[in-house]
Amino acid sequence: MSEQERRPETDGRDFADAMWSVPSYLLAGMAVYGGIGWLLDRWLDMSAFFPIGIVLGLVLAGYAVYRRHGR
Amino acid sequence: MSALTVLAPPGGEFRAPTPDELFNLGPIAGIAWLTKPVLLAILSSILVIGFCWAAFAKPKLVPRGVQNVAEYGYMFVRDQVARPFLGKDADRWMGLLVSVFFLVLVWNIMGVIPFIQFPVASHIAFPFVLALSIYALKIYLGVKHQGGIGYFKNMMFPPGLPKPIYLLLAPIEFLSNMIIAPFTHAVRLFANMFAGHMLLAFFSMVGFWFLFEKLTLPGSTIGLLGVVMTIILTGFEMFIQFLQAFLFAMLAAMYIGGALHAEH
Amino acid sequence: MGLLAEVSGNVTAIGYGLAAIGPGIGVGIIFGQGVQAIARQPEAYGLIRQNMLLGFVLTEALALIGLVAPFIFQAL
Repeated sequence: MSEQERRPETDGRDFADAMWSVPSYLLAGMAVYGGIGWLLDRWLDMSAFFPIGIVLGLVLAGYAVYRRHGR
Repeated sequence: MSALTVLAPPGGEFRAPTPDELFNLGPIAGIAWLTKPVLLAILSSILVIGFCWAAFAKPKLVPRGVQNVAEYGYMFVRDQVARPFLGKDADRWMGLLVSVFFLVLVWNIMGVIPFIQFPVASHIAFPFVLALSIYALKIYLGVKHQGGIGYFKNMMFPPGLPKPIYLLLAPIEFLSNMIIAPFTHAVRLFANMFAGHMLLAFFSMVGFWFLFEKLTLPGSTIGLLGVVMTIILTGFEMFIQFLQAFLFAMLAAMYIGGALHAEH
Repeated sequence: MGLLAEVSGNVTAIGYGLAAIGPGIGVGIIFGQGVQAIARQPEAYGLIRQNMLLGFVLTEALALIGLVAPFIFQAL
C-alpha cells in the first residue's frame, strides 16, 4: 500500500471491488481474444487460434485486473 | 405436494423433473401475460410497499411492532451495504438500496413459502430488468459526475501503463465494464435461484415418488434420504436466498459508488 | 430389477461439473487462508491482498477454461 495510514471505509470497498470484477474481466478477455481467434480460425480454416486466443485473453485480463487493483 | 402429483410421470419408473415442467408455467385465468411469476412479482411489490408503508408512514421515536423489524432491516442495509461502498453518500442512496434489497429478498423467499414455492428471480427477465435499471443509473451517474469523455477514459485507460498495452487492454476493459458486469449481476441471482429451485424440486420428488407413489422396502430408504435432504436443503436455500438479496444490493451499491468517484 | 437411473443430455455439462470442483476448492482455500492471514497480521494487509487477488485470478481462470474446453475440443 502506498499510503501509510489505512482507511478501513475505503479499503473494504476497493477490495470487494477488485474481487467482484475478476470474473467479468476474465470472461471479457476470453470473449475478445477467443472471439478474434475463432474468427481467424474460420477465415484461415484452421483450429489453432481459438485455444491460443482463449489463453492469451485470460492472461491479458489477469494482467489488466492486477494492474488496476493489485497495487 | 399436490403440485408434485401433477409432475409425476405416468410410466412405472422415476424420472427427475425437467426445467420445462418446473419453470414453463401456463397463464392464469386465460390472460396471456399473467403467469405465476408475474403474479408473485406483483404480490411481492405490494408486500414490500405495504411493509414499508406500515413501518415508516408514521414513524415513532420509540419504534414498536412493524417499525422495529423494518428498522432492523434498514440498519442492516445501511451498515453492511451502503456505508462500506458509498461512504458519506450512503444516506442519499438508502431509499433505492433498501427497496432493492427487500424486493429481491421477498422475490427469493417466495421459493420456500409453502404452496407458493416459486422464486420469482428464477425467470431471468426479472433480475435482468432490475440489473438493467441499476446499469442505466450507473452510466447516468458516471457521465454526470466524471464527464462524458472522462468516464470512459477512466474506465478504459487506467493511468500508468505503457502505450501499446492500452491497445490490448482497452477492449477487455470496455467489454468487462459495459456488457459483462451487468450481465453477471443479473445472472448470479438468476442462476442461484434457478438451481436452488431445481434442487429442492428434485429431492422432494425423490421423497414423494419412493414413499407415496411406489412404496417398496429398498426404495423407502432412498425416499427417506430424499425427505431429509429436502429439509436440509430448504434451510440451506433460505440462507442462499438471503445471501443473494444481500449480494444484489451490495453490487448495486458498488456500481453506484464506482460511478460517483473515479478509481484512483 | 430394471433400469434404476440413466444419464441423458449433454455430456459436456458433466465435464464442466467435474472441472468446477478443483477451482471451487481452490477459491475456498485462497479466501479462507487469506482472511485468516489478514486476521493474524493486519499490518501485512496490502501484501496479502495482492497475493489473494493474484491467486484468485489464476484459480478463476482454470474454472473459465473448463467452461470453454468443450468448444475447444469440438473444434480440434
